[in-house]
Amino acid sequence: MDFHLQSYGERAVFIQKLSGRRQSCVLNALKVSPPHGFVEYVVGYSNVLVILDGVLSAKRFPEWLSAIPEVNQADLLPTRLLEIPVKYSGADLAAVAKMAQLSIDEVVAIHSGADYRVRMMGFAPGFPYLDGLDSRLHFERRASPRNHIVPGSVAIGGRHAGIYSVASPGGWHILGHSEHPLFQPEMAKGAAPDENAVFALAPGDRVKFVAIN
Amino acid sequence: MRPLLEIISKGVGLSIQDGGRAGWRRFGVPVGGAMDRHSMAVANGLLGNREDAPVLELCRQGAKVLILQDTWLALAGADLGCALKPWRASHVRAGTLLDFSGRQAGLFAYLALPGGIQADQWFGSASADPRNGLGVVLEKGVRLLANQRAVSFSDDRIAGRIAIPDERRVFEGLVQLPLFRGPQFAAFSEVAQNTLVESEWTVSERSDRTGFRLEGRELEVPASIASEPVLPGSFQVTGSGQPIVTMVDGPTVGGYAKLAILPEAARDRLAQCVPGTQISFRWLD
Repeated sequence: MDFHLQSYGERAVFIQKLSGRRQSCVLNALKVSPPHGFVEYVVGYSNVLVILDGVLSAKRFPEWLSAIPEVNQADLLPTRLLEIPVKYSGADLAAVAKMAQLSIDEVVAIHSGADYRVRMMGFAPGFPYLDGLDSRLHFERRASPRNHIVPGSVAIGGRHAGIYSVASPGGWHILGHSEHPLFQPEMAKGAAPDENAVFALAPGDRVKFVAIN
Repeated sequence: MRPLLEIISKGVGLSIQDGGRAGWRRFGVPVGGAMDRHSMAVANGLLGNREDAPVLELCRQGAKVLILQDTWLALAGADLGCALKPWRASHVRAGTLLDFSGRQAGLFAYLALPGGIQADQWFGSASADPRNGLGVVLEKGVRLLANQRAVSFSDDRIAGRIAIPDERRVFEGLVQLPLFRGPQFAAFSEVAQNTLVESEWTVSERSDRTGFRLEGRELEVPASIASEPVLPGSFQVTGSGQPIVTMVDGPTVGGYAKLAILPEAARDRLAQCVPGTQISFRWLD
């Protein structure tokens, strides 16, 4: 397979312009037979960043990549579905309804009616960038970001839905609140914690929001 | 086991740091660890420790540490006015108060204990990242132990040990740092590409372990990008036209175009630049 590669610093390589299927192939190969000097990978929107242990490993990386097998989507890990209860009472719910020229109930129905997929995670631990947001709810981030957003805030920004996983500043529009913990740092103790105990979600997972009172 | 030291005052910043946590960035966990990895490694090396063993990272001024047992210690990095000389191992008597009273040169000093500090790990690292609930919080009265199980040297091997000149750093004078082109280099105008290396930049007071802001001539900003992974050392140019250099506790992904990235050794050097320091840059290749 041919890939669009871009070096990033002395020991990391971006694999750019990946379709969803090709991104899955790369991630599968990284898990099954990682390249020489592999340290870790980070999933981006349409790319994957591979971090290696030094300049030499980075130089050898393209050869490894050119030889990875094509994999059928069906052979890849099964996706999980997580249902997240949401109390729709967010500070920006009315403003979003006004921008979308919809009623609040319609915004809630649209947001909770979609089937989302975790496209990538970051900027903070456990924060999921969710694909699948209805285009009627695509809005630029707030002109002035908030300094403090509480964990559990269910929000939308640009073409993504998300859930704030730690207290942080942020510019997304807040629609509601979820009590479902996305990141539990106390479970991260030790040398090799269980990722499923620490994080509720991983890239590739499906998410549905369920409106509660 | 008896503790080796006690925190008397935290000062501007005092935390346990090590080589950081690898393998969790895809979940949004920053790599963290020492801001100046080189100085951490030298301090550890002077005591025969693993180069990434947990050390105390002291920022600027005001930290006070009481030594509770006769011991060897090693200090490297910034000279924060402590009686203990940096870039060497020193024997210190029980009852000695290490007072990092005043900044002389540099921003972060590293104090290594024999075997490294004994500390719990989160994601395989003892590094403190309080915003994300990782690592122990050091407060006045906290006592720390050395990891004596890891001790792999005898005292006579340490005696008089001094960092070789190549390992020492002087955090004074003109700072010029090399840059690799960033992933969105080509999206920036030629004027912006040239301005970055042709003008002087000043380290902003609004700099911390997540990012160093630089102030200087306004750079023309290209369109924001789909969010993608960000490495420490990256120059993200925000709407204000001023670069923010992502540091080790910074976000793992971002949507600002990245004009440049520092080699890791140069990132260590930037971490030692106090606010107000003038910096210039040059392109590698």
